[in-house]
Amino acid sequence: MLNIDLQYSWEQFHAHYQVDIEPGMTTLLGGSGEGKSTLLHLLGGFLAGRGVLSYQGESLLPLAPYERPISTLFQSDNLFPQLTVWQNVAIGLSRSLRLTSEQQDKVQWALEKTQLVDKTTRFPQALSGGQAQRVAIARALVRNKPILLLDEPFSALDPALREEMLYLVNEVTAELKLTTLIVSHLPQEASLVGGRVLLIEKGQVSAHEAVSVLSQSDVHPLFSHYLGVSDRSTKSPE
Amino acid sequence: MNTLRGLSPALFGVGVFLFMGAASLVALLRYSDVSAWWGYLQQPYLWRVVRFSLWQALLSSGISLLIAVPVASCLMHRRFVGRALLLQLFSVSMVVPTIVAILGLVVVYGRTGWLHQVFGVNVPLYGLTGILLAHVFFNMPLAVRLLLQGYDLIPAGQWRQASQLGFSRWAAFRWIEWHYIKKALPGAFVLIFMLCFSSFAVVLSLGGGPKSSTLEVAIYQALRFEFDLDKASFLALLQVLICTLFAVLVYRLAPVNRQDASVLGQANYSVRDSTGARSADGLALLSVFVLVIPPFLAIFDPIFSKVFLQTLQSFALWQAVWVSLKIALPAAFVSLLLGVCFSVLARFCMDRAYLSRLPAKIEHLGNMILMVPGLVIATGLFLFLRDLGWGLQSSYWIVVWVNAVMALPFVLRALMPVMYQQETRFRNLYLSLGVRSWSRWCLEWSLVRAGVAQALGYALLLSLGDMGVIALFGSQGLVSLPLYLFQLIGSYRLEEGACVAVVLMSLCLVLFYLSSRFIGGASHVKH
Repeated sequence: MLNIDLQYSWEQFHAHYQVDIEPGMTTLLGGSGEGKSTLLHLLGGFLAGRGVLSYQGESLLPLAPYERPISTLFQSDNLFPQLTVWQNVAIGLSRSLRLTSEQQDKVQWALEKTQLVDKTTRFPQALSGGQAQRVAIARALVRNKPILLLDEPFSALDPALREEMLYLVNEVTAELKLTTLIVSHLPQEASLVGGRVLLIEKGQVSAHEAVSVLSQSDVHPLFSHYLGVSDRSTKSPE
Repeated sequence: MNTLRGLSPALFGVGVFLFMGAASLVALLRYSDVSAWWGYLQQPYLWRVVRFSLWQALLSSGISLLIAVPVASCLMHRRFVGRALLLQLFSVSMVVPTIVAILGLVVVYGRTGWLHQVFGVNVPLYGLTGILLAHVFFNMPLAVRLLLQGYDLIPAGQWRQASQLGFSRWAAFRWIEWHYIKKALPGAFVLIFMLCFSSFAVVLSLGGGPKSSTLEVAIYQALRFEFDLDKASFLALLQVLICTLFAVLVYRLAPVNRQDASVLGQANYSVRDSTGARSADGLALLSVFVLVIPPFLAIFDPIFSKVFLQTLQSFALWQAVWVSLKIALPAAFVSLLLGVCFSVLARFCMDRAYLSRLPAKIEHLGNMILMVPGLVIATGLFLFLRDLGWGLQSSYWIVVWVNAVMALPFVLRALMPVMYQQETRFRNLYLSLGVRSWSRWCLEWSLVRAGVAQALGYALLLSLGDMGVIALFGSQGLVSLPLYLFQLIGSYRLEEGACVAVVLMSLCLVLFYLSSRFIGGASHVKH
């Protein structure tokens, strides 16, 4: 269980997140600027918050980003352009890139899992957007951290590819029993990956429900405003 | 057509630069007897001078970079009290008037200097050691600044990943920093090599005789004492040839330096610290404190002496201040204008696929001036203007122009990276909105003004401290502060000279500060 009671202030923005998150998929929904990415940055240790952040009873707040049981995938800049695909994955295990045979097997397993075996010697510039994000997922897999944070990493991909990546994330979350938090703008994505949804509004968790709440014929009162906005923003004008 | 019209001021600026350079070289060659050149090649003295010039330049640039790499890495990762001041000092130290720095070095390392007084150590200051000490004093800070520019190109995302993956300092250096700085190193090496190869005042003052003479000093001797234009132009061409060969070789071996398309602002993502990293940083900083700080402090030593106030009352001093300002201010503005012309052309070419190789060439063209001795350009220009009917009255403008073009490589170093960055970031936006020429400047001013201020500051300081061209053209009524200082030292009025050095240095600092403050603006401009 990931326990969150965090406060964060920056200029006019004041956030206070209070929620307990169970293993499995959780999608963070909310409008632009409501504080979804801020929450992920606080969890990852890239922003300093006040309060409580613990996982399995252990406090994470005093820990540096690399000491936390967390892997984060960002929208961009997840890979080192100067390293090959294999090196980009392997560096998740050894900073010197000198891997034991066991570690090499692990890298191979992650590359197979993400269907990148034939791309190992390529550099990120020679990969498509989807392939590049799969490399980042492969690295998250070898790091074997129980919490996976995804800050809209697939937003730049086309819908079919995005769906494929979400299936992949869903699969590894279930297989490795991860606690995965994914930021999304699209309620359809939350429905696709299942699990639970968190609604973030004005720097606060305003709802924490099962994903089925999004497909009910009677819209849940807490989600009505967001879904109304979301419907308008995703429908084309007629 | 509209584009070309918008580009015409830049084309004009670069055209004037090329025309003046070509005209002075042609004028010089017209007065030369090329048939006598074969004879010079037979002289063992010449080869000794070439060998020494190469050797001291290689050693100076190698040592400067060897120290600069760990210092730059340390300054990139550590935040400590005095860091900003140290960086400011680094900006100034590479353009400190040579004659002033030499005085500082003598006070610290000289026979009765601080080092001897405190530790009883005697440094053989006159000869190769002194030349290396002075060159490292000037160029190691320059190398650090150049490498830090390379660090600025590392996207924040890479540091974020390093922070997440728990990189140690060594891992961060190996996998991230080295990838970027190895591209900056050849350029820095060539620049420092050329500066040291064509070093004049340092070698003249600390060389200690003909055994440690360089081509530039030989050219000065040929012009000043023998007025042998033939020999001077031969030596100048030889210098240009060697520098060109060297630059071509290094650039061929160097990795391609591409601008990073995703340049993001630097965020403070720290990597894992360790005792080893702290010790290495401590050593790097110690080398700075030993090599750069003491000569600086020594410069200001005479401020507490009685002679200082007396020197301040001298009319000749203030006249020299006026002459220095009269040369430095127009020279700096001309240099900045030339730099802007070069950068506008480079940006124009960046925008077009078929011209994509040109920006680097344009920058090299501006840097080429480092290969040509200032004394030679000045003499050629003098001969060219004399042929047009302007005699000695053109001396002032020659000094201004030569100072302006000699500062151009430094201006370009400060200006080009910010200009490239703006082009990469906003090119598509400008194209879609039709934003051109002057409107671009207005939009970008808050982002580029720091770079412009730094460029102007460098040009001001270099012109203020010039001891090359002014040594040749300085006459009654055209005595700048460095020349006045040189004359005082020459007449053994060392104490008075040290006080004049304080005034010169203070003038440099004040002008650099004013340039940074009023043109650079507040440092908290959001990029």
